[in-house]
Amino acid sequence: MTRHLPLSHLPLALLVVLALLPLGLSDPYLLNALIQTGIFTIGAMSLNLLLGYTGQLSLGHIAFFGIGAYASALTALGFDVELLFGWRVVHEPWPPLAGFVLAVLIAGATGYLVGRLSFRVRGAYFVIVTISFAEVVRLVALNWVELTQGPLALTGIPAMRLGLPGLGEMIFRTKVQNYYLVLAVAALSYLVVARFTRSRFGRAMRGLKENEALALSVGVNATRTLTIAATASAAMAGAAGSLYAHYFRIVDPDVFLFSTTVTMVIMVVSGGKGTLIGPVVGGLIFGLLPVALRPVLAPEAQWIVYGAVLILILFLMPRGIVPKLEALAARRPRAAAAQKPVEAESRP
Amino acid sequence: MTQALQHLLNTLVLGGTYALLGIGLTLIFGIMNVVNFTHGALYTFGAYAAYLACAALGLDFFLALPVAILAGLALGALIELVLLRPLRGSDMDTTMLVMIGAGIILQSGTLWIFGGVAKAIPTPFPDAPLQIGPVSLSWLRVFVFAAALALIAVTYGLINGTRLGRAMRASFQDADTAALMGVNVGFIYTATFAIGSALAAAAGALLGPVYVVFPQMGDLAAVKAFAIVILGGLGSISGATIGGFILALAEEFGAGYVSSGYRDAMGFLIIIAVLLVKPTGLFARAERIG
Amino acid sequence: MSRPFRLASLAALSLALLAGAASAQTIKIGVNEPLTGPFAASGTYVVNGAKIAADEINAKGGIGGKKIELVIEDNKSNPTEAAAVAEKLITSDKTPVMMGAWGSSLTLAVMPKLMDYEVPMLVETSSSGKITTSGNPYVFRISPPSSLEAELFAPKVDKLGLKKVDFLVINNDWGRGAALDFGAMLKSKGVEVGLVETMDQAAQDMSAQLAKIKASDSDTIVITTAVDQLTLIFKQMAALGLKKRVITTGGSQNPDQIIAQAGAAADGTLHLTTFLPWDPAKTPNPEATAYFLGEWKKRGFEFAGATESFRGYDGIRAIAAAIEKAGSTDPKAIQKAFWEVKFMGLNGPIQFVKTGPAGKESGQSKPQVYLIKIDGGKVSLVEL
Repeated sequence: MTRHLPLSHLPLALLVVLALLPLGLSDPYLLNALIQTGIFTIGAMSLNLLLGYTGQLSLGHIAFFGIGAYASALTALGFDVELLFGWRVVHEPWPPLAGFVLAVLIAGATGYLVGRLSFRVRGAYFVIVTISFAEVVRLVALNWVELTQGPLALTGIPAMRLGLPGLGEMIFRTKVQNYYLVLAVAALSYLVVARFTRSRFGRAMRGLKENEALALSVGVNATRTLTIAATASAAMAGAAGSLYAHYFRIVDPDVFLFSTTVTMVIMVVSGGKGTLIGPVVGGLIFGLLPVALRPVLAPEAQWIVYGAVLILILFLMPRGIVPKLEALAARRPRAAAAQKPVEAESRP
Repeated sequence: MTQALQHLLNTLVLGGTYALLGIGLTLIFGIMNVVNFTHGALYTFGAYAAYLACAALGLDFFLALPVAILAGLALGALIELVLLRPLRGSDMDTTMLVMIGAGIILQSGTLWIFGGVAKAIPTPFPDAPLQIGPVSLSWLRVFVFAAALALIAVTYGLINGTRLGRAMRASFQDADTAALMGVNVGFIYTATFAIGSALAAAAGALLGPVYVVFPQMGDLAAVKAFAIVILGGLGSISGATIGGFILALAEEFGAGYVSSGYRDAMGFLIIIAVLLVKPTGLFARAERIG
Repeated sequence: MSRPFRLASLAALSLALLAGAASAQTIKIGVNEPLTGPFAASGTYVVNGAKIAADEINAKGGIGGKKIELVIEDNKSNPTEAAAVAEKLITSDKTPVMMGAWGSSLTLAVMPKLMDYEVPMLVETSSSGKITTSGNPYVFRISPPSSLEAELFAPKVDKLGLKKVDFLVINNDWGRGAALDFGAMLKSKGVEVGLVETMDQAAQDMSAQLAKIKASDSDTIVITTAVDQLTLIFKQMAALGLKKRVITTGGSQNPDQIIAQAGAAADGTLHLTTFLPWDPAKTPNPEATAYFLGEWKKRGFEFAGATESFRGYDGIRAIAAAIEKAGSTDPKAIQKAFWEVKFMGLNGPIQFVKTGPAGKESGQSKPQVYLIKIDGGKVSLVEL
């Protein structure tokens, strides 16, 4: 038992370590890197809901992240736009928390609409439709200057604030505060994904992924199931986007960079698609790898190593790191026999 | 009226360019079921190969073209043998990500070797444009248009009129049966990827002098190529050709009469519309390639 | 502990000691520039200029006997990374002052960090008006925002005899800002403003926009974008037979690259620029310009990069001047000292004027703007 910790305890152990980390780590640069990693890891977890559990690869996931960031920023900053036919909408600034909630709702609603439309196609077509959608959203953010200020960027976004009963208002200004905020949202996201995948919907999703025809024949409504997954996934990405907006306090159309989607996909696939903790493991590795490479290599070489590490992980562990570890952990105690087989959540 | 005519002429020239970008990608997808995210990097590679052939070897533009195409062929074969062959049978996401990783390495390597400053490839064509009534276009673009059509025709002929092409089509329909019939499927895959890469490199070498050569030039080109291929239906060469012209038409008239800010959105909007109406692309014929 | 491991840790330890010893005697200046990604070429030019300045200062004995050390980090042309780099430079490398971050979106992403840590930054290239008007007292800028560029260009407008102007600008803060500010200035001068066309940062084919401009009844096109797109635009204009007067703005034109790559297509074009490397004698500080260009050549850099790179050179010299005035490496003291900086840069006097909301003003230096003309492969100063 002491020789190898069971993997099922990994999430809790990781949470404890991450929660205690700021006590021993005072370097703000590393904390910043961890916050940034945490935000994109939440994005990766949300992507996993779609990619890992339904098998649909979305390369436009950044759209929901960006929509969340813009929704949250605009709620907190206020705006004044004229829509068609002279219909003018004026919005006074609301508290950032309202921005967070609206970010989740608006991103979720967009996810629902996109899901309804794009799940008519599968495979490579789905991939390209999602890329196209993200590009269109980016171009709207770039060109609808009146609302988004386009390339001039939304600046001066307030830090997140929480009203605590009896304790007054808490403003998330310092690194440590933001670190715990992101960690809390990440833990919550983890629980939501866990709850979601263990529900009836989760079984339906996995059924669709493994054998769509069979799942359909036993009465799974494919479009409905996939759309619900897409909505939840987009809402969670919107939450991550909101955290981004209030932490970095600036949002511009660069938030829709395609490379960020790629980073999130890399986090999911390298960590292990369809495992709960996989995206977190992948997120930590690919979120912190650039930080580790920065002091040792020339800028161009950092990217080359990043690409090479990605290829190596995929070659050595095509299913991802966590499933590989599970397989290793399952093989060792075989001598002890009668071990309960490790719960296999994804076997394509 | 003159403006519309000029837009039409631009569409024709740009469409040829776009078709050239699309065919390599559609070929690889159609036969190997690989979404090739190194397409943009191979396009850049072709442009730099032509640049090197001119600047370092002192070749003229017309000799630099075949050099770039052969270099693309070789790099494509290498990528297939080293990265794709060991992954055969794994799922689409894995190959896609490996290709993304290879694309990152190629692009960063280019930046490392050549720096970020744009290079120009000299051509022997005159600066003065070809004037046709009130509209005009450059001689270089006329040449690129002709070369693009020639390359598309050669590719079409290769697929439909040669033994290699027959084997490629057989592998596409059913790789196992093709293998039983004595087709060396491994070789066919390598050849397909190499040819698709050579086409991407050819596009880069042809368009390098039209535009400028820099490490990120492939990014936008790849995005356009994806749009074109989806429009035409994955795996269809004639579809990619027509898709190229449709995209050019939409961009040209979108920028001319709607808003230049949304010029690059046109392609994506068409993709979304097409896939919602006809999810297999406009010209897809799933049963065969060509 | 195995032998190689011990050796490695020993090496690491001695390295750390060396670095510690070195840093005790040097003054660190953070440099936050795009070295990979779409803006890699420009960022690298600026860094090259910065290195020339640092070497020059160190060769003359440094500041108060201490050498300066540039801590150069790549922001990957990505705002999120630019913020992370600022975080690293300030908290991990302990640089008391920084230069950065080339593009406006990169600089804007860094600015909240300056407020958090109260560390000043010299902005060398960014043009967005927001940078100096949002009430960030840690920002000192030597590049002109487009409003200032338009204001400096205004006296020349009448003499050029412009009647109606179309704009073709890059679709980012820089291009959009130029279209707004130059448009307003031209209108106030009685010049009509026609089309405002945009192009994506990565776009290579502008024929559609140019065909539209060709059909309009304007006499002049004002273009704002970086040199690569300018080259393409001139070539595509020639192909379309579009022969209107061209004025480019923004100071990233790099005429030598235009001449080399666009050839005759660039003949007759006018450019608003902020540095004159072709004619060192006509620059405000001929001696420094000659030195800078000499070093640039000696190090084997492409001459074309000098127009972008001089900002890195002037930027580091301005920072050094502030540190010298402050007499300490305390960020607060350096921030205060920036207000007293006054010296002749490669492009006119560098001296910061207060801009933005009262009480928390940012600093803006007012550079000179020149109108140059490309003709027959030669660059000449247009005197009006």
